[in-house]
Amino acid sequence: MIWLTWRQFRAQAITAAVALAVFAILLIATESHLTSLYNSNGLLTCHGDACAGLAGNFLNDLSSGGGFLFIPSTSGYAILYFVSILVILIAPAIIGVFWGAPLIASELEAGTFRLTWNQSITRTRWLAVKLTLIGVAAMAVTEAFSLIQAWWAAPIGKAVGLGGSSGVFSEGRFGVFVFPTHGITPLGYAAFGFALGVTVGLISRRPISAMAITLAIFAAAQFFTPLWIRPNLLPTSHTTTTMAAAGANVSVRANPKLTISASAVPGQSGAWIISSGGVNAAGQPVAIIPAACETAAAQVLGTHRGTSTLNSGQTALNSCVASQGIRVAESYQPASHYWPLQWAETGMYLALALAMSGYCFWRLNRRRS
Amino acid sequence: MTAVIQTKELGKRYHNRWALAGCTLSIPAGYVVGLVGPNGAGKTTLINLATGMLAPTTGTIEVLGGRPAAGPAQLARVGYVAQDPPVYAGLPIADHLKLGAHLNPGWDAELASRRIERLGLDPKQKAGTLSGGQRAQLALTMAVAKQPELLILDEPVASLDPLARREFLQDLMETVAEHEVSVVLSSHLISDLERACDYVIVLVDSRVQVAGPVDELLATHHLLSGPRRDPASLPGGMQVIFASHTDVQTTLLVRTSGRVFDPGWTVSEVGLEDLVLAYMKQAARPAPGNNHRHLEVQK
Repeated sequence: MIWLTWRQFRAQAITAAVALAVFAILLIATESHLTSLYNSNGLLTCHGDACAGLAGNFLNDLSSGGGFLFIPSTSGYAILYFVSILVILIAPAIIGVFWGAPLIASELEAGTFRLTWNQSITRTRWLAVKLTLIGVAAMAVTEAFSLIQAWWAAPIGKAVGLGGSSGVFSEGRFGVFVFPTHGITPLGYAAFGFALGVTVGLISRRPISAMAITLAIFAAAQFFTPLWIRPNLLPTSHTTTTMAAAGANVSVRANPKLTISASAVPGQSGAWIISSGGVNAAGQPVAIIPAACETAAAQVLGTHRGTSTLNSGQTALNSCVASQGIRVAESYQPASHYWPLQWAETGMYLALALAMSGYCFWRLNRRRS
Repeated sequence: MTAVIQTKELGKRYHNRWALAGCTLSIPAGYVVGLVGPNGAGKTTLINLATGMLAPTTGTIEVLGGRPAAGPAQLARVGYVAQDPPVYAGLPIADHLKLGAHLNPGWDAELASRRIERLGLDPKQKAGTLSGGQRAQLALTMAVAKQPELLILDEPVASLDPLARREFLQDLMETVAEHEVSVVLSSHLISDLERACDYVIVLVDSRVQVAGPVDELLATHHLLSGPRRDPASLPGGMQVIFASHTDVQTTLLVRTSGRVFDPGWTVSEVGLEDLVLAYMKQAARPAPGNNHRHLEVQK
């Protein structure tokens, strides 16, 4: 059975190996230059607040003219960073679509299940070997992409952690693109994508439609997880603080609605801010920009297209709102929740993968009708 | 000896339609069993139940004394050649044989490669490029090489041209003679099975009309012809399978365990093909105009 699994999976395995090799070569070839940029910006020896500025310089270097093998004067690193994250993000979807969906569906469509399931081997064993071998391969490949990228992007991660931000290099490790592509979450997504494809293929019995449905469901899961699921995997913490301490900006986009975006939680460096909003001295939510700050808001709106006075106008609006006694209520996950959240999300997707596999075994043995 | 296939009130329903109903059979070992009936009669359903590809809605089925596809040992005892034999189009013949060798403990590799060689097939050829007859031969080779006690073939020659059909059946018969194996094969053509079978099951409208060894069926069925009269006037113990009347003459196919002594009848032997056709017509008659089946007869 192992032979048959390999024989039928050979082409996909080689494709994955080639993709992984190209990915690794690109990143390995550029890693030393990336690290030397990090060092030459003085980030190895900096102390305290100085680091944030240096980190910003380093990331600016990367996104503007850091240089890169064959695109020397453009933001090659930005492209490479973005693409490498994207590859890890969509690898489980590709695995689900091209490895998972056709696994049973193509046997059902071509009728070859009649041939294989009538050899001296039960359907349970047939599926167990296929799911195990290809499932492990799926998880290994995705995690390999992730580990190589994490090694390559370590200076970028450190710089963002120090407070630097520039272009695509702005997401901390809780970011919607960074979190599901690093740590152990790629394992969960790979297992989920693969099992999803297999299950949809078994139900739909048509490889092409199974591929489309798998892609749609996986994309939906990936889209909604950071919005609805990840913030609630662990209980969130709450705090109320001043505008300044929260590093908060008042947004005028929804004027006259009061929208506040916070960038820090006092005493909780590296926390993941899930939501923030204005509250008055009594702790009641404030929905509307106070009348006293309308002028300041109008000024920000008016200068929105210009750039010179934008920052000063924004600062004026922020301090005006603060002077009205409005504080910022934040809900967040502390930095210490990074690994518990990683485990929870990975565990959730592994459990889903196992449940779907169990369903496949049950359905296969219930016998078709 | 245990029956190769034993069923009791076996039935399979798809939604509201019974594909097979009230099927009670006991097929002894050592026969080449022809499963005959028009398209849609339930032959494939019965075969799928016997190979464990389907689970019955009602009743029970035992194959070689075990539940179909119950485990590796049971699977090893039954060789199956499905309708329009499926093969992996992208894999060469050699890989199909390797597949069989890896998945069957009783695989006879020498037998398999000898057969492929005898058929003049190139082991490196992709199975997707084989003709219908060659694919059927490859599927039969795989089914035989696992050395089963029972071979089940679903419409094995339906998609073959007459020459390939004859060759395939001849090859099958040689294989049966060589290895002591029981065979069940289905066809909607009686003529295909006439030469090959020594046991016949006639399946029409999801019900078994008659089943038994060919020589026994031929010995107990007689064609009676004589002056026109009412079939009800026949003595007891005779079952009229089919009656046809002209103005002056009546022809009957009767089933009886004894001899026919009535001097008013001219008694003649009946051929297997006529016998099977009579049962098919009998089954088709009770519901005239309703779901009339087209009987395919190839002379």
